[in-house]
Amino acid sequence: MKYKTAELILSLSVLILGIAVAVGTSQLSSAGGYARIGPNVAPAVIAGGLILLGIWLSYEALSGGWRNAIPDDPEARGEHRFHIGAFIWVSVGLIAQILLIHSAGFVLAQAVLFACVARGFGSMKLPRDFAIGLILGLGVFLFFVKFLNVNLPAGWLSPLLGGAGI
Amino acid sequence: MSEAFTSLLHGFSIALTPFNLLWGFLGVTLGTFIGVLPGVGPALTVAMLMPLTIKLDPTGALIMFAGIYYGAMYGGSTTTILLNTPGESASIATGLEGNLMAKNGRAGPALATCAIGSFVAGTIATILVTLLAPVVVELALKFGPAEYFALMIFAFTTVSAVIGSSTVRGVTSLFVGLLLGVVGIDSQTGKSRFAFGVPELLDGIDVVVLAVGLFAVGEALYVAAYSSRLEEKMEQLKGSLWMSKTDWQRSWPAWLRATAIGFPFGSIPAGGAEIPTFLSYATEKRLTKFPQEFGHGAIEGVAGPEAANNASVTGALVPLLTLGIPTSATAAVLLSAFQNYGIQPGPLLFQMQGDLVWGLLASLYIGNVLLLILNLPLVGIWVKVLAIPRPLLYAGILVFATLGAYSLHQSTVDLIILYVFGLLGFVMRRWGMPVAPAVIGLILGPLAETQARRALAISQGSPAVFITQPISATILAISFLLLVVPLIVRLARRS
Repeated sequence: MKYKTAELILSLSVLILGIAVAVGTSQLSSAGGYARIGPNVAPAVIAGGLILLGIWLSYEALSGGWRNAIPDDPEARGEHRFHIGAFIWVSVGLIAQILLIHSAGFVLAQAVLFACVARGFGSMKLPRDFAIGLILGLGVFLFFVKFLNVNLPAGWLSPLLGGAGI
Repeated sequence: MSEAFTSLLHGFSIALTPFNLLWGFLGVTLGTFIGVLPGVGPALTVAMLMPLTIKLDPTGALIMFAGIYYGAMYGGSTTTILLNTPGESASIATGLEGNLMAKNGRAGPALATCAIGSFVAGTIATILVTLLAPVVVELALKFGPAEYFALMIFAFTTVSAVIGSSTVRGVTSLFVGLLLGVVGIDSQTGKSRFAFGVPELLDGIDVVVLAVGLFAVGEALYVAAYSSRLEEKMEQLKGSLWMSKTDWQRSWPAWLRATAIGFPFGSIPAGGAEIPTFLSYATEKRLTKFPQEFGHGAIEGVAGPEAANNASVTGALVPLLTLGIPTSATAAVLLSAFQNYGIQPGPLLFQMQGDLVWGLLASLYIGNVLLLILNLPLVGIWVKVLAIPRPLLYAGILVFATLGAYSLHQSTVDLIILYVFGLLGFVMRRWGMPVAPAVIGLILGPLAETQARRALAISQGSPAVFITQPISATILAISFLLLVVPLIVRLARRS
């Protein structure tokens, strides 16, 4: 039988998600008071729906592929082939930001994010991008902390930023 | 009707106070600025700019949101015409002829017919909202939980099954949203569901985090991976910005027809602005006296879809304000903005917080005028925004998008969820799953669950309550038919 691996994997993921929700639902309370439907009814409906949808998607995947699917050939979509480097750089930026924001602080985390994303989109001027990100992050930081009174972590820059931030 | 007029006058007295006028002006300016950025649609614009309003009172904040919402749409049409990168599906139809006009050196009139058409359609639609909303409120006050539940099911059906290229993928997206909606403390019993002991999940998943994750992070990952290495061709804005006499003659009937098509689609929960824009495009193509120009940049083909888009988006405020039911991803984000201020839209909103509602409606009229002024003479400035190199642009978008998600609770958990939603958005975009149903499912799912349980509490647990009440039974029957009839037709055609 001919099928596209990605479609089958996604279809089965929906099915497995549905089964996982069903298992999780079985541990929820069914006490529902006057309404007689407890906190477990909506998850049960969702689990049932996901299982049905997973089966349906799998059926489509195995019987000639998903209907009206997006073409697999990037050129047919007016795009280029999957550029793994670009995908990784953007991801690295986002993950670095998560790791840095509470230690290095908001400004540095955003500067790193900015530089990594720009690199992912093909910019080769890393120091310049980092500097732009730094200025942008600093501007946003000061605006939020001083003007909107929203606390953002100052992190390693707290000696420079004075008492601002957390 | 005269009552609506008095209320509206009162609304103007609120919207025209210097500060509210300022918030409205800031809203439309920022909305246009962010909306112009390629790949950024109105839903993301509203989500990204939400933290800016935390210092405002609810009325001021909502006036600013309305400005952002409208501004983002105007800005989006500029990008669509000059770059042909629509930020949302409702702009695709505008780009068909609009980008071709720009290629032929007629970008100016294309932008002008969009701006003026949006103004005309937006203003007529706002008048219709003003007249219709009180009527719907009267009706909605008679609705019980069963009717609300039925309406929400109807909205689920239209946003997921009717639009898009595949019913099953649309419904899958909806169910993913519904699943995310049950995470956290159950509002009726206080029991936690699917929080896995993570305290940050007990409050549930914020619509802003999902919208930003799908629309900003997912989009950035997708564009980086599949089109960041392409040469992008931006059409120049040259020649006259003004529309010639023929342009006017060809545009205004299109604007009016499009308003008539767009408004009803928006105001009944019928699934967003995408269908009316394509309907309007098809109508103009059929009625035009210049069929040879279609496919080479016909002005009716720009004027119609853009006006239909605006009329439909404005019409969507009727179910949003009077029933609390969002029918597009943008309306879902707006609803969450309301909820952040402790406001639950619905018929009672008109009675309890009349100042807020009518101030908001009045500010829509003002916003349309401001946008017309802002867009026609200043379009040159917005075009400069498009000249920002892509790497810096997307880096900036992610800096602000992550800020929007982080500043909600200052929590890294939100940032982790944001990245996961970004990966989800990438997969959904690549394999053709619409994302709007997920966003709507997340915010509307818990509301539907609450209404269902209320209805069942009243009927002492008998599910017959949904089909014995005539209104609820009718709405549920229509939803069921919408879902099933296309399937039967398809099966019948095959055999």
